[in-house]
Amino acid sequence: MTQEQRSGRPDEDRSRLSRIDAPLRAPFLLLFGSAALWLMLSSALSLLTTLKALPAGIGSYEWFAHGRLEAAARNAFVYGWAGNALFAINLWLLAQLGRFEIRNGWMASVGGLFWNLALTWCTGSVIVSGPGAYALLDFPVGAGPVLAASFALAGLWPVVAYAKRPTGHNFAAQWFVVGASVTFLLAFLLAQAAVFWAPASGVVQAVAHSWYVRTVHLLWLGGSALGLGYYFVSKVLARPLHAYYLASVAFWTYFLFAGWTAPASLIGSPVPLWIQSIGVVGSMMLLVPVLLIGLNLLGALSRDGGWFRAWNSTSLRFISIGIVSLLASLAIAAWASDRSVNAGLRFTSFAEGQNLLLLYAGVTFCVFGAAYAALPRVSGGRWPSAAAIHVHFWASTLGAAGAAFAAFAHPSAHGFISAVSAALLLIGHLAFASTAFAALLSGVPAGESQPAHD
Amino acid sequence: MNDRNRHYDRNRPRQGSPGPEGFSDGRLVEVHSQIARDKQEPAQGFSMTPILVVFLFCALGFWAGLYLTRNSRGFSASAFDLNAPVAFASAGPVVFEPDAAKGQTLYLANCAACHQPTGAGVPGAFPPLVKSLWVAGDEKRIIKIIIAGMAGEVEIDGVKYNGNMPNVGVALKDAQIAHIATYVRSAWGNAAEPVMDASVAAVRKEIGARGQYSPKEVLDAHPLGN
Amino acid sequence: MKNFRYLVLGALAATALPFVGIVVGAQAQFNSLGRAPAEEGGPLMPPLEPGQAIQGRQVYLSLGCVSCHTQQVRPAGQGGDIAGALGARPSVARDYVLQPVVLLGDRRIGPDLANYGVRAKADADVHLAILHKVGGRDQFGFLYSGANHEIPSERAVMLAAYLRSLRQDYSSPEAPLK
Repeated sequence: MTQEQRSGRPDEDRSRLSRIDAPLRAPFLLLFGSAALWLMLSSALSLLTTLKALPAGIGSYEWFAHGRLEAAARNAFVYGWAGNALFAINLWLLAQLGRFEIRNGWMASVGGLFWNLALTWCTGSVIVSGPGAYALLDFPVGAGPVLAASFALAGLWPVVAYAKRPTGHNFAAQWFVVGASVTFLLAFLLAQAAVFWAPASGVVQAVAHSWYVRTVHLLWLGGSALGLGYYFVSKVLARPLHAYYLASVAFWTYFLFAGWTAPASLIGSPVPLWIQSIGVVGSMMLLVPVLLIGLNLLGALSRDGGWFRAWNSTSLRFISIGIVSLLASLAIAAWASDRSVNAGLRFTSFAEGQNLLLLYAGVTFCVFGAAYAALPRVSGGRWPSAAAIHVHFWASTLGAAGAAFAAFAHPSAHGFISAVSAALLLIGHLAFASTAFAALLSGVPAGESQPAHD
Repeated sequence: MNDRNRHYDRNRPRQGSPGPEGFSDGRLVEVHSQIARDKQEPAQGFSMTPILVVFLFCALGFWAGLYLTRNSRGFSASAFDLNAPVAFASAGPVVFEPDAAKGQTLYLANCAACHQPTGAGVPGAFPPLVKSLWVAGDEKRIIKIIIAGMAGEVEIDGVKYNGNMPNVGVALKDAQIAHIATYVRSAWGNAAEPVMDASVAAVRKEIGARGQYSPKEVLDAHPLGN
Repeated sequence: MKNFRYLVLGALAATALPFVGIVVGAQAQFNSLGRAPAEEGGPLMPPLEPGQAIQGRQVYLSLGCVSCHTQQVRPAGQGGDIAGALGARPSVARDYVLQPVVLLGDRRIGPDLANYGVRAKADADVHLAILHKVGGRDQFGFLYSGANHEIPSERAVMLAAYLRSLRQDYSSPEAPLK
């Protein structure tokens, strides 16, 4: 690391920041705008799947078969919402940390455009002609290469921003985000190969699928969310992370162990015992990085009224909840990988609850928190309504809590509570998306140079 | 650290006062680089944390090794049930399995000299096996020819062969013939059912010790396309 | 960590290692896995699927049945599948060697179907099960015609043939019937 002499004068910092932010505007608007649309579509579809029986009007159409709605909602959430939002947020974060002034930002926009076109095709195909055999890989074979190519254009910017950072800045948040970004493309291509291009034999496909899902969940989405956590916890609290010298160990152990947890979702299935046992061992070993990350982040939050200050910051309120949920879901996964515990939980809605804790209360809350900081900065606008932020926070939190309760508790509680929770989530997302669009569009139009955005 | 991006919550109009002070990005990285360089917590001196982490890591690693060796049944491909009797799980398949891979090895050793490794034969001299009706269909036909051989004139794809195939199968075990037939019937675009050793044994018993077949004899018993 | 290359290559290696370990490893073990006879000299199991069942699998896939139904029976010590009469023996990898895609499933909102073909008695019962009446309304009525959805479409017939073909009631080298 070179000499740190870059705290700089405020004016200098300000103009440099706007040089970083301004060229991000167009891709950010496109990516985050489409993310918000996908989030609403996904929550609307999820609401339909929670209804025990669909309204008479649409219940008799094949398009609304439960399996189709569920697959479409899942794809819209993971690839549409989380994917697009992370393209935008990760790029923004790494540009900030590395003082990276993006050139050829149009490539991100083009990538985002094709990503969304391919996703629209996939989601449409799931609804019209049905999903495939494997969750998150249930789209037309032809869409795979398009998605991979557009990810390369839109999703690898954090890597570029890290490689080209003029300052040599080096911080744990960057490792997590860069690692997460390169991980997805490799995992996606390998999974496509093992399931479509050169199909593995029989149950090996199921093993490959479990690996892909776990890699997407833990490394791409979870890894990015942890990066956001490392950044915002320290930044908003204005204090170094607790025991930060352990962060590199946390990062490497997390990335090394996460993929090996995959076969824990196949305990009892017709795959050889050794594969199942590797899943159990991987899930337990993942407790090491969980502990270290908890030490880094929750340690910093627990000192000197950190939680109180987190609650008073819109961003950190979401992100601290996100980090706690994410780490909790990994701890629960380790517990549930025990063979005797797993025997009672397998095939129930318990896995749904884990995914909700990881992907919604974990990753999505981190993205929400980051969005509340990034959006006004990039667009030059401001959040139009504090009330909308409150509606968003409480509807999302209560909705997530209710859905988690419904999934973890007895199935008899499932129907009503999960429908109410899904409705709450939809309300929260409407509040979020409408204010996000207002903030995105209220800013100074892209291209027009402007010195400050207060 | 007086730059403008410290106030995260100026975006939250509810509050009159700005939100909590924040690090600037530069300060944030600087502080953490300092800690990473020093490899210890600033101003706290000796810490038990890294020792505990190493200890935990070693304990988990030890447990992981133990768990894997105890719960994997020797990484066997045929162990699916942890509570199944151990002897059985490691014994593997107890009945015959036709194996095209074994069949290929045997084919290359016993048949490829004439029929060629590609199964294409030599036009006019040795008949092809690729997509041949002779090898597909009723498995008894191919078994009989392998065991007893065949001599006489046949026409395949418009080419006449006056072959003289010896009784290669006499020296082979039932299982080996089954592997070869399975391989021939599944390779090069052929797609016929695998052959079991029991079928070979049955044919061997049925035909007894005899000389080469003539093509007519074979076709009368097992017409092509069947 | 300051080195960009170490970070990217390290992350890629960490991602690919489990794939090599469990997916490539399993593929190496199962590459030559084929069918096997249930008893000495018997026919190879699992049996070849009838053509209608193969088409029926596409119907099963396209309706997203896998989101609510599993097709796997766990061993007796691992959950109550055997005790609950879902099957006479646990499922093993060999049961799935003929299937182009493996529909193990991950959630049992509906019953497990690994041995549905053993349980199903008459075609009429199968079609009733497919119709899946909830709250007095047939959820999959679009597969049928007639006033009471009594006339199955071609797809319903194929789906029924597929469901009736699902059975793991034969002895397997890895999981013999007691």
